[in-house]
Amino acid sequence: MKNKLITILSVVVLTMLINGCSKKLEEKPYTVFSTEYFKTTAGFQSGINTLYSGFRFLYGPEGAVGLSTDGTDEYTYAEQPRNGAGGTQDYLTLGNYTLDAANGALLTPWNRSFNNINLANALIEYAPVVPISNEERTVALAQIRFLRALYYLNLVQYFGAVPLDLGTGDLKFNQSPFQGFNRLPVDQLLVKNYQAIIDDATFASQNLPDKRPAGAFRLSKAAAFHLLAKAYLHRGYSAASQASDFQSAYTAATQVINNQSLYGVALQSNYFDVFRAGNDYNSEMLYSVERIPGNFGSNEIGTPNSIGGGKGTDAHNDFCGDYTSVRAPLASSTAQPCRTRAIPYGRPIRRFCPTPYTIFTAFSDKFNDSRYEGTFRTVYKTTSAEGGFTTSMPSGTTYNVESYTADTAFIMALTNQIADSLNGILPAGPRLKPYRVIAPREFYFSGGSIDANITRNMYPSIRKFEDPANLDANNEATRPFPVFRLGETYLIAAEAAMKTGNTTEAMNLINVLKLRAAYRPNLSSAEVTNRYNAIRLTNPSLVTIDFILDERTREMCGECTRWPDLAVRKKLVERVQAYNTDAAPRIQSFHALRPIPRSQLDNTNDPDKAKYQNPGY
Amino acid sequence: MIQDGYVLSPQPACCYMKNWKPFFPFLMSRSADIIPVFPMNDADHAQCPAGPAEFVISKNRHMKQTAKTTKRLLRFLVLVQFLILTGQSFAQNITVKGRVLKDDGQPVQSATVQIKGTNSGTTSNENGDFSISVPGNGILVISAVDFITQEIKVNNRSSLDVKLAAADKSLDAVVVVGYGSLRKRDVTGAVVSVSEKALREVPVANLQQALQGRAAGLEVQRVGNQPGAGAQIRIRGIRSITGSNEPLIVVDNIPWEGNLNDINPDDVASVDILKDASSTAIYGSRGANGVILVTTKKGRNGDTRVSYNGYYGIGKVADPFPVYNAAEYISMRNLSTWGAGYMPEELRGISAGRNTNWQDLLYKNSMRSDHNITVAGGQNGNTFSMGGGYYNETTVLPGEEFKRYTLRATIDSRIGKRIKIGLNTQNTVSIQNGAQFVSGSPLFPLLALSPLMPAYDSTGAIYQKPWGNVDDNNAGQRYNPLYLKNNNNNWVDRIRRLRTFNSLYAELQILEGLKYRFNLGLSYAQQHAAQFQGADAAPANPNYFRAAQGNIAQVDNGETWGYTAENLIYYDKVIKDKHKIGATLLYSIQEAQSFNNSVRKDSITDDFVQFYNLALSTPINGANTTLSGGESRSAIISYMARVNYSFNNKYLLTLTYRRDGSSRLAPGNKWFDYPALSAGWVISDENFMKNVKPVSLLKLRAGWGKTSNQAINPYESLGLVNNSNGLQAGSTGGNVIRYNYGPTIVTGFNVVTLPNPNLSWEFTQTTNIGLDFGLLKNRITGSLEYYDSKTNDILYSVTLPVTSGVAGSYLTNIGKMSNKGLEFTISSTNINTRSGFTWSSDFNLFYNKNKIIQLSNGITQDIGNQLFVGNSMTAIYDFKNLGVWQLNEAAQAAQFGSVPGQVKLLDYSGPNGKPDGVINSTYDRFVIGDQDADLQGGMTHRFSYKGFDLSAVFYARFGGTLVSQIHQPFASYLTVLDGRRNGLKVDYWTPTNPSNWFPMPQASISNISTAWSTLGYYSGSFVKFRSLNLGYTFSKSILRSLHAQSVRLYFTVDNVATLFSPYYKKTGIDPEGTGVGSQGVSNPGNIRGNARGNGAITIGLATPTRRTFTFGANITI
Repeated sequence: MKNKLITILSVVVLTMLINGCSKKLEEKPYTVFSTEYFKTTAGFQSGINTLYSGFRFLYGPEGAVGLSTDGTDEYTYAEQPRNGAGGTQDYLTLGNYTLDAANGALLTPWNRSFNNINLANALIEYAPVVPISNEERTVALAQIRFLRALYYLNLVQYFGAVPLDLGTGDLKFNQSPFQGFNRLPVDQLLVKNYQAIIDDATFASQNLPDKRPAGAFRLSKAAAFHLLAKAYLHRGYSAASQASDFQSAYTAATQVINNQSLYGVALQSNYFDVFRAGNDYNSEMLYSVERIPGNFGSNEIGTPNSIGGGKGTDAHNDFCGDYTSVRAPLASSTAQPCRTRAIPYGRPIRRFCPTPYTIFTAFSDKFNDSRYEGTFRTVYKTTSAEGGFTTSMPSGTTYNVESYTADTAFIMALTNQIADSLNGILPAGPRLKPYRVIAPREFYFSGGSIDANITRNMYPSIRKFEDPANLDANNEATRPFPVFRLGETYLIAAEAAMKTGNTTEAMNLINVLKLRAAYRPNLSSAEVTNRYNAIRLTNPSLVTIDFILDERTREMCGECTRWPDLAVRKKLVERVQAYNTDAAPRIQSFHALRPIPRSQLDNTNDPDKAKYQNPGY
Repeated sequence: MIQDGYVLSPQPACCYMKNWKPFFPFLMSRSADIIPVFPMNDADHAQCPAGPAEFVISKNRHMKQTAKTTKRLLRFLVLVQFLILTGQSFAQNITVKGRVLKDDGQPVQSATVQIKGTNSGTTSNENGDFSISVPGNGILVISAVDFITQEIKVNNRSSLDVKLAAADKSLDAVVVVGYGSLRKRDVTGAVVSVSEKALREVPVANLQQALQGRAAGLEVQRVGNQPGAGAQIRIRGIRSITGSNEPLIVVDNIPWEGNLNDINPDDVASVDILKDASSTAIYGSRGANGVILVTTKKGRNGDTRVSYNGYYGIGKVADPFPVYNAAEYISMRNLSTWGAGYMPEELRGISAGRNTNWQDLLYKNSMRSDHNITVAGGQNGNTFSMGGGYYNETTVLPGEEFKRYTLRATIDSRIGKRIKIGLNTQNTVSIQNGAQFVSGSPLFPLLALSPLMPAYDSTGAIYQKPWGNVDDNNAGQRYNPLYLKNNNNNWVDRIRRLRTFNSLYAELQILEGLKYRFNLGLSYAQQHAAQFQGADAAPANPNYFRAAQGNIAQVDNGETWGYTAENLIYYDKVIKDKHKIGATLLYSIQEAQSFNNSVRKDSITDDFVQFYNLALSTPINGANTTLSGGESRSAIISYMARVNYSFNNKYLLTLTYRRDGSSRLAPGNKWFDYPALSAGWVISDENFMKNVKPVSLLKLRAGWGKTSNQAINPYESLGLVNNSNGLQAGSTGGNVIRYNYGPTIVTGFNVVTLPNPNLSWEFTQTTNIGLDFGLLKNRITGSLEYYDSKTNDILYSVTLPVTSGVAGSYLTNIGKMSNKGLEFTISSTNINTRSGFTWSSDFNLFYNKNKIIQLSNGITQDIGNQLFVGNSMTAIYDFKNLGVWQLNEAAQAAQFGSVPGQVKLLDYSGPNGKPDGVINSTYDRFVIGDQDADLQGGMTHRFSYKGFDLSAVFYARFGGTLVSQIHQPFASYLTVLDGRRNGLKVDYWTPTNPSNWFPMPQASISNISTAWSTLGYYSGSFVKFRSLNLGYTFSKSILRSLHAQSVRLYFTVDNVATLFSPYYKKTGIDPEGTGVGSQGVSNPGNIRGNARGNGAITIGLATPTRRTFTFGANITI
């Protein structure tokens, strides 16, 4: 009896357990989201934010700076990569053209673009069901398509044709685990690439708001026309060119130039102001990749004093020569009055140094053209009281030296003549300055061509990205990084005009920039006119592609577009051989395209990987 | 109110009464000379025992009074018993006196003498004597630890001598097989047991370390060297690429989730390891990786004993890292490309002949101590064991410490004849200091600092920036590591963890041979990880971790909890003495949930606040707070049936079947089945073997089974999007997709995982053939196992080419893998002299051959995921390093674009399948080896003479390649030889020193950008003398004067020596791993990451191994 009772009881308990438990096998996650999220208003917007944010990888970090700058006519690798300092091999091989497909800098554009392109495809597909107004939807789509076009433009300029079909069809949101690599045939795909870029940019130029907000870089028509002009120009030089490309580029660029008040843009009157810290949202900037001052977490910088590898800006440090080891007042002194790093001067990680071409050829006139001093820092104040130099900046800390009284420690003289004069060499006499005056012939240039112990790896350092509001001299920068600015729009328009045979129009457009370059604050208008006359173009026949490229150096030196500028225009090999002694011995024509990264081919499900690689690698 | 009709036993023994048996026997006295609970009259009252509390404490002492409440309770219980019990008739009782003796005539103390079928019994005294009142036709069951249990029919005899044969552990010891236990001779699967004795031979912090080298087929590889660091446990190799390969661990019948550090090794009585699928199939979807069954100490019938096990040891660094001394450093630096010259202080150092040994200055003695007290006893099957433990270990580096406090109790009790209940509770609090950011942090400076720089300035203060170059001194976080010696509120790095693991069971004997058992396990763990780094206040109080920075704090809190409920039915039946049938049925449910959150904040108002109130913060900007959290839940529902059948004890058969449903799989795909069968044949019991005298046992086993692993994480079959940007969260966060439109900060989401509703488990089928043997009356015993397992539907995260548009990877069921292996175990008594000298040894040797058979779509290699068909999963794919280009090879080197002194790589192949004269990453990288040992094993020798015992434990691995990231220049920056810093003392090439190992210090060590990774591969073979243990057990006469049962004192040295290791010779200090996945600054790219616990084991910079000298005692009173 009792046994039966127990048995019955057991059965009842068991049955209850079994029935109660099957629900336990259902999953109800609290903290994870599925792709359905992008169909909601908030999710859709968060996807757009991601697309904007993705460009933080591509504008500012060391990999992006290196890929776009190293091994050009303007720049070569500086002391650290040259001496094999840790983690800089990629820049040595980029700069001397021994790079292989494993070069890490290649991954900056390659690995950071396609997931955002796929997300853009998803957002475009989901947009119709997102509960927002049609106007909002159109503007959102215009932003998405602008950003997708820019991702593609970046990729194509480095790698040539890249997949439009990520596994589910051209420009479709791919949710399949696709292990192929839709890159073939390369020539046909390149045609489709450019068409897609132009279609997207055209849509954006028609549907974005006319103006961007004053204090933010939401996309606007001005940025879209600039992108469109650039896309046409690039295609015009490419194997996919169409006869109308340069004309179309001209039309798109002048659409902005001729309607500046409609689009809310204008050149800065002083070249130095274009990149002046605190003036990041100025009227000349059409689109910058944003970062917020001092807020590292929001800038996606986990370790502020790290170098490269993420979304932080390294450009302000990458171009920085080793000012800390400069001896003063003489090369033979033991004092190093800038021994302590200072926030505006940056962290002297000396990745890239200018070639003699940049300092002597492009900026042959450093006096009338304010852009040399607008581009390079020439004056350094004392950060470490020694050798008789004084500073009120506390010792051992990396503060903003500009906010302290400090002796000038050294200057980077504009010319040898000025240096010789101040140093009492020619004419012979007493030194006229208590600080060190470094002559250009003492600058550290490619090949370590002078005694490193004299200048200690110092060369003119780009000042455009200096971040005096940063918290530490070793930090990554937290300023917006310019992508498109009106100054370049003029250059694109001029170049397009030249390519369509209208060199006079080209000359006129360039002279607008020359006039601005002549301007310095506190100069009388007559003096500005004098200087303008000294540098202006008067003969349209002088406007050649090489002139345009020289002018791009003067206007845009260090702005991280040089390598693609040369490569797209098929001028890379020629100008590198002419101007860059580090790169000249090895560069070959195939180097005008970067290799498809090794990891891409490693992960591609096809034993014959060689057919996907760009020739020569 | 006490019922009439019961009588006292005329002898001091347990009370019992006609027609009924004690219901709550634990209320009774446990000692043979204590009298019954229930007094018959006042005279007897004087002999009455005390109440329940007295039962544990008192011995030979009678309480004069019994609390009234206790009496009432007892009376109540008696009534209850009457209601419950059925009537039974008993034969006339007689008193039997007897002795329990060993084979050699020596008495057996504390043997349990029980009347079969009842709970009545007694125990033998010191002389082995017992006396018991028993029905004349009754049967006595006599059992004792280490002896074979015997049953003797009384047959109305009044005196009996019982000889107990020593238990042959290899045969009749009980083996835990999961959901029950079997005699070893009835086992048909591959099961190996590790005894308590073996577990205790090496003093260790956790069970993983105790198991290393102890069982064939069980591979335990170290993955860290801090106190309490874990280990990678593999049973018979790797079966999963992305799923966990860790075995299922079951503690006292309940699956154990999580940290093995929570188990105090001293609480463990035995470990049984189920290796083949026929034995693990009862765990179905969790059985594929093998099962480790841990049994904790239980009480047993006998006097209450108090025992103490403890030790204290002092250690020193076993081997410091070899680095260049001052003179060698100067030669290397002068040869290198370093252009900045020496620091002024270095120049002074050179002229002063300075040679700073940074390691000597920082290393201190390590310490290890362990103290455990156990109180255990019981009577009549009502037993208990309870205890507490304290473990503490520090290392040679400051700030690293592991402490563990444990409390546990086990009670097993009978309720009447049919019901047994028990409770087991284990509670652990552990505190790990220095495991998060302190651990290992000073090692890089210790090895890289210039030996020419001073450690202290002229005033004796620590020299603040002792680097040999301006950049390092300028860069943040580059202070003198000697600051770590004094933690002046500079940091807190602590993980505190509470784990409480409880299991309750109730067993009901429904009928003879039919039993129902209910197991309930409840586990809860809470972990609080706190980190604080104070603000730098140099020069007064410089902070090593925050040079020139403010303070920062982080708190992570997580909890995991779960329960297991199991309903089991056991049926045992013997038919005609020949057919033995045992059946087990199971229905169970297990659910586990975890939740964690984490806060990080900087700019804490003052350092003394630490992390205790993160609201006390003065943000420099609005974003100094980083928050994160997560949650997961999973459940399994299971049914299982097992039948054991044996015929004549000679032919054995086991059939099992399990069905598991899991929440982790997508709807419609949740349930899977796991069948297994195995058979055994005891050949030595066959007549034809009777005459083969040397062979005392020969048993053949064979089995097959199917299992799987739970290789899919909760929610994994869903397609996921999240806000991670894939970057490292640093001190300021930075791992969440953010953007700003001017001052407006926003967050972004992106796709990270593709959905896959078809995900299922990975199924492994294993065939196992085993042979157990015993020779020379089992003086030599051992077994030989061969297995062949094949895993299908292997899941792995295919790293998709980024052009697929999904940044993450895709998990899918593809691929096949095989593991084959041979295992050999032998135990022998080599010498056993009359004078009492014995030498015995345990030896195990095994190999496992792992091979990937298939990847998706006929792909033979997946370089991005380091998967190569036909090779082991630990294959290393890289260029082949041939050494260094020598001077006389200049012409040949030039063809490859190299010069003498650079790394020489093998031109393996080319576009036409032949070497093409170009080193190229497409054609010249190949599988250059793997990390698997070809052969591995352990060996223990034990010697004893009189009271002395000596044991020596060895552990060895042969074959395989290890990855030393400290020798990969750009992973560790210790072998860059760029003159900027000091580093490992590798023998580098110079024109006058034709080393074929490291290249010349120069800007470019190779024209191939990744050639540096090839400098980190070394032979993984080693033989380690793990521990030497000398003990002395006090003799009986001394013990008597000490009033103790047993006392053993011992002295142990661990990490005695590395007897053989090619890597050790090449400046590696320890061939065992220090971590999993790439531990370098630059990732070589061919090291499997540790996303799912399957990372490649690598050697990085980690706390060095200690050699510890330990004194210990095992005392029982």
